[in-house]
Amino acid sequence: MLTFIVRRTLYMIPLLVVVSLISFMLIEIMPGDYLTKLKTNPFVTQKTIAEMAKRYGLDKPPLTRYWFWFQGIITRGDFGMSFESRRPVFATLFESGRLMWTFIVSLTTMFISWAVAIPLGIYSATHKYKASDHTLTFFGFLGLSFPSFFFALVLLWLLVGVFNVGQHGLGVGGLFDNRFIDTPWSLAKFGNLLWHLWPAWLVIGTIGMAGLLRYMRASVLDTLSLQYVQTARAKGLSEKVVIYKHVVRNAINPLVSLLGLSLPNLVAGSLIAATILNLPTVERAFFTSLTAQDDYVIMGALLFFSLFLLVGNLVADILLAWVDPRIRYN
Amino acid sequence: MKRLIVTLAALTAILLIPAAVMAQGYATKPADAVIIPLGVAGTDYSKLEPGVRGGTVYVGTISNPKKWNAVTAHETSTTQYTNIMQPGLVNLNPITAGYDPELAKSWEVSADNKVITFHLRQGLKWSDGTPFTADDVVFSFMDLYLNTDIETDTRDVLQLPDGNFPVVAKVDDYTVTVTCSVAFRPLLNSMTANIMPKHKLAQYVAKLNPAVAADAFNQVWGLDTDPKELVGMGAFMVESYTADLNVVMKRNPYYYHYDSKGTQLPYLDKYVVLTVASQDVMLLKYQNGEIDCFAPRPQDIPILKPEEKTKNLTVLVKGDQPGFGTTWVVLNWDTQNQKYRDLFRTLKFRQGVAHLFDKETMIRNLFNGLAVPQWSPVSYLSPFYSGRETYAGPVTEKNAVVFEYSIDTAKALFDEIGLKDVNNDGYREFADGTALEITLATNAGNTTREGACLIIADDAKKAGLKITTNFIDFNVLVNQLMGQEDYKAIYLGLTGGTEPHSGANVYMSTGGLHAWHYSAATGDITDVEKRVDELMNLAAAEFDLDKVFEYYKEYQTILSEDLGFLYTINQAFIYSYYNRIGNAQVASPIATPSGNNGLTMDLIYKKS
Repeated sequence: MLTFIVRRTLYMIPLLVVVSLISFMLIEIMPGDYLTKLKTNPFVTQKTIAEMAKRYGLDKPPLTRYWFWFQGIITRGDFGMSFESRRPVFATLFESGRLMWTFIVSLTTMFISWAVAIPLGIYSATHKYKASDHTLTFFGFLGLSFPSFFFALVLLWLLVGVFNVGQHGLGVGGLFDNRFIDTPWSLAKFGNLLWHLWPAWLVIGTIGMAGLLRYMRASVLDTLSLQYVQTARAKGLSEKVVIYKHVVRNAINPLVSLLGLSLPNLVAGSLIAATILNLPTVERAFFTSLTAQDDYVIMGALLFFSLFLLVGNLVADILLAWVDPRIRYN
Repeated sequence: MKRLIVTLAALTAILLIPAAVMAQGYATKPADAVIIPLGVAGTDYSKLEPGVRGGTVYVGTISNPKKWNAVTAHETSTTQYTNIMQPGLVNLNPITAGYDPELAKSWEVSADNKVITFHLRQGLKWSDGTPFTADDVVFSFMDLYLNTDIETDTRDVLQLPDGNFPVVAKVDDYTVTVTCSVAFRPLLNSMTANIMPKHKLAQYVAKLNPAVAADAFNQVWGLDTDPKELVGMGAFMVESYTADLNVVMKRNPYYYHYDSKGTQLPYLDKYVVLTVASQDVMLLKYQNGEIDCFAPRPQDIPILKPEEKTKNLTVLVKGDQPGFGTTWVVLNWDTQNQKYRDLFRTLKFRQGVAHLFDKETMIRNLFNGLAVPQWSPVSYLSPFYSGRETYAGPVTEKNAVVFEYSIDTAKALFDEIGLKDVNNDGYREFADGTALEITLATNAGNTTREGACLIIADDAKKAGLKITTNFIDFNVLVNQLMGQEDYKAIYLGLTGGTEPHSGANVYMSTGGLHAWHYSAATGDITDVEKRVDELMNLAAAEFDLDKVFEYYKEYQTILSEDLGFLYTINQAFIYSYYNRIGNAQVASPIATPSGNNGLTMDLIYKKS
């Protein structure tokens, strides 16, 4: 098992290099570059723009620039600078605790959506084709089909326009109300954070919930049809024990690897919902760099997300082996 | 009793000592302080009122700042903060758009118009208590703006017509001279450039401190800087920054503006800028009471107007203050196909197209009625706008060059130049029978521009001219506009300013943004372009503002008649604020020192 993990970890390196090369080529295919917008500024001359191009290395051919960037990573651990803010790439992506907030938002969202979807999936399977099963499925797909930006906007509008939360001194969007800006942590501030997070749980959580619910339902149904369940029931075990001790334990296998595959979503989660709800996530910094064509920030972000994807896949495989004794890697 | 007196004395001392330590700011008002005559009859500020100190105001913005370095800043998401922190020698008056003395209390121009002598205000201090002197001014210009190591947009606007740069020199601690090789009146416009603190920043300039790299200054005062390091002369300084959430600005205790009652400005203790990425959410937060004032979009007005009474807020629409900048259609005189080249260079064709613009429909449909028609290359707000009859006079539009919306006139003009519908498909062809189709491109996602293109195409169809709209990526559009890719017609806009000379890059024949006719730079110049070049140079060398006005009047007339750009409309200035905010009616597109979304922040106060 250890050799398996080591081998997989080593594979990640050439994979990341290939990802970086492909990403760089895709950025080059995008028309224009960081300086294109500046060209429409009537106060800036072509000469100044040419000077800036030289300073940023944008006058060099793409492969040369890629090679310099690659060399920088290998020799100095330098992932490049942001053109916009002239700071190192990861300082730009992770500023003001963005990474921490990204994890907090996505981990809590993931925890809540799993904590809701799994029991509902089990319930749905054990009450197959009853009215409750159909209702849960209906609402699950409703949550899936609602566009997240629309859902987020409607939710905020409901809070402001219909429930008038401003009258009660509560704000919408962002992480804290105005009165908590730059104040030290307190119970009230923590409570306020929860008030600002629950719309995110609702909007982002419901997207994944439908899929999880149906996965769990299908998995439980599959397991329920197996012979040992019949045996367990024949032995006289209570339905509760049959379901929760035997069926769920086996049905949850495929979902455990799904957990690993969800790792990338922790950092590259729902951009649109985060933009509407004004949450400071890493993906928003990535989107800003995309629209500005801040080349090295884009590369840094893509590498970061790819790393999580690869690590997530590895974690999924390890978890699967851990949970299911039948699976062994060599 | 004795014990009581001693205890009381000790208590008083304990309370007073921290107060004495904390006391910052001027002991007495500086003699050279700027007095803003709020509420004083007969002045520009008569409609505003003196306020009270204290409180915090919340405003909104769309994007994060990119840095705190005013010199290297490239866009407004950054300059909305840096222009408040570091004002210049002169500043734009938010009400009249004229030049007010700011860090310079007065200036004279020499007899040959080549030397401007600035007298700086004396006794002023930077926000950290260091005295402000001429050294800071000379440092800012000679070691920053004119230093080729430094990456700045300002160097271009300082360049003189003969290619040289002015020389800024210290005469004494409070006097500087700006010497030019040629007389250049628009230089005064560039004196709004931010003055930077030498005592904080000289160490990062390689020219003065060889120990640092040439690029060092370009990276200093980035977003990771401790805000306590930022020093300026402005009304507010940055106190804290949280990405994607907010920027907190706090009062500068050494600000040198006072009101007519002797109260030191700014009135507010702090103002907080909330970063809200979506304008829909900004509207919601405003309605929720979290934001005190902001600039709504035209489509927000029908939602806010009915709430004026219920929520005690005001919606301000200033049709007489459309923003700076121009919006236009440009036909490419250098397009590859010879037939189209000849067609676009035919004045009657361009006139016909101009008569197709139904500006009233555009205003109604795209801006909810909150826009004005545009005809001139110079911004409406400029004192040189020739919709006025004299420099800085009231706008009468007597000199306006107007192409009335008239399909019949357009048809007549197209008939005259030989464009006829030969094959009866509803569209005109070239005189030789080949098909005529013009692609009008604009940037996808900008719904007002897309809508305007659709309206134009629709009206063109009525006159038998085939115009096809094409909404494309902004960068592709820019490449086309810069002449790197071929195009027929583009719908776009440019920013502007109060000084028409700042459009030199666009309107002069050799300009880098002379979008309709780049080949003018290589000899293919028209008589109109020759005269425009002449007028620009005459106006730049002349210091008598009335004469300058006449030059710019002719400049605007011939450019508008020549239709290099075919102008469309300009959005009116709209703003909204809760009535608990005092002096918010000063909101205007001129806002300076670059207030947030249109407010001059040092005049705003919180009513109790």
